[in-house]
Amino acid sequence: MNLDWSIVWQSRGLLLEGALVTILLTALTMAIAVPGGIVLALMRGSRFKPVALFATGFVELFRNLPLLLLVYWAFYVMPVLTDLSLSPFTTGLTALCLNVSAYNSETFRSGINSIRKGQTEAGLAIGMSRAQVFRQIILPQAWRRVLPILASTWVSLFKDTSLVSVIAVGELAHTAMQIRSQSFRVLEMLTAMGAIYWLMGYPQAKLTDWIHRKYGARE
Amino acid sequence: MTAFTRKNADKPPVLVYEDVRKKYGGFTALDGVSLHVNAGEVVCLIGPSGSGKSTLLRCTNALETIDSGTVRFEGKPLPKADADIRKVRQRMGMVFQSFELFPHKTALENVAIGLTTVRKLPAQAAEERARALLAKVGLADKTANYPANLSGGQQQRVAIARALAMEPHVMLFDEPTSALDPETVGEVLNVMRDLAQEGMTMIVVTHEMSFARRVANWVVVFERGRLLEEGPPQQIFEAPTVERTRDFLSHLGWDD
Repeated sequence: MNLDWSIVWQSRGLLLEGALVTILLTALTMAIAVPGGIVLALMRGSRFKPVALFATGFVELFRNLPLLLLVYWAFYVMPVLTDLSLSPFTTGLTALCLNVSAYNSETFRSGINSIRKGQTEAGLAIGMSRAQVFRQIILPQAWRRVLPILASTWVSLFKDTSLVSVIAVGELAHTAMQIRSQSFRVLEMLTAMGAIYWLMGYPQAKLTDWIHRKYGARE
Repeated sequence: MTAFTRKNADKPPVLVYEDVRKKYGGFTALDGVSLHVNAGEVVCLIGPSGSGKSTLLRCTNALETIDSGTVRFEGKPLPKADADIRKVRQRMGMVFQSFELFPHKTALENVAIGLTTVRKLPAQAAEERARALLAKVGLADKTANYPANLSGGQQQRVAIARALAMEPHVMLFDEPTSALDPETVGEVLNVMRDLAQEGMTMIVVTHEMSFARRVANWVVVFERGRLLEEGPPQQIFEAPTVERTRDFLSHLGWDD
């Protein structure tokens, strides 16, 4: 077999760009899906039934659809339904946000529910409003408890962003595949792509482990 | 026997409960409770577990809603609107059996949080007041500690300071020493006794009969959501008029 690794070095600029898009996509998705998850979790706990029902429907729909399908759906169906024409990047971001918000909502819901009722009562008893109790008492405690899970979600998401390559978002996977099909250097490019994902993903996984040890399961 | 006159009986009572009823599903927690608490009184609520004492306390600051009857605080029935009930709660300090300190905040922050968030006091002023209150409960040297690094007795004293920070007109104690190691019960009861001596109006749900006997001005015995008997501690502990009170106290070793 005739291998030519020079293609990887020659494509370093493009690959770097793709890697940056991957990181950007991950960071933006989390930046939206974390507050999104909190809002959905709060909506599910709402005393106003239609709000709770809507949030439950949202979560159960987007949590249980394959992400790949969501990506295609956002690309083909969403523009027809909403009359919006979004760039592939924004479309991919939307699909990821729908999926990860639904996941984060469940994460936050369990985190919030794990805080004793007495904590809320102690806040109310000194005259705090429910919103103040949530922001100052419940959320900071729930946050610590869910941080390890959010970190795991981040690591999965980082890899799952590769799925938006199917709608030609220029992230790492799509870039590597493009170079592959232009140069026919399949093995080299797939290996390079794997190596780059791994080199970026491994430190994140290690950081997640550290977060688990520091914040995981303790009162 | 001369008639016992309750403290501040000539003034309007701080709290009045009229025929208060509360059910949880099929369980009747409060079955028509009528009772009043005068200014500066220490009223101890005693009785078997599940007899409604804690429920009455929790209905006092609307942590639980009542099904019927009225709770009057300083002459007015408890308001319904959220913003109004919050004002009432600021006037009632509450101390919980399980302390419920905020674990992500230091002792000082626990005491100051109500002042900064509810009273909108500047951080500096809130901190000074919190410091003074922690000194008052004997914890001047623990201001920077997190609850996890305090003993149960110390945590409960921080919780008392947290409640006092709002300058309440009445303090509600819900079995404040039941979750404590025996060796730290005393330090909490001492703080409560000092508070009583300063003239704080207090309602104390307790199983500490010696505290009730020594510190209370008025003792109320509960059974199955009803008042079994009420009276000054001398009457309740030495000459209970109701047979069931005698039974309850004898179970606790108070039959002399």
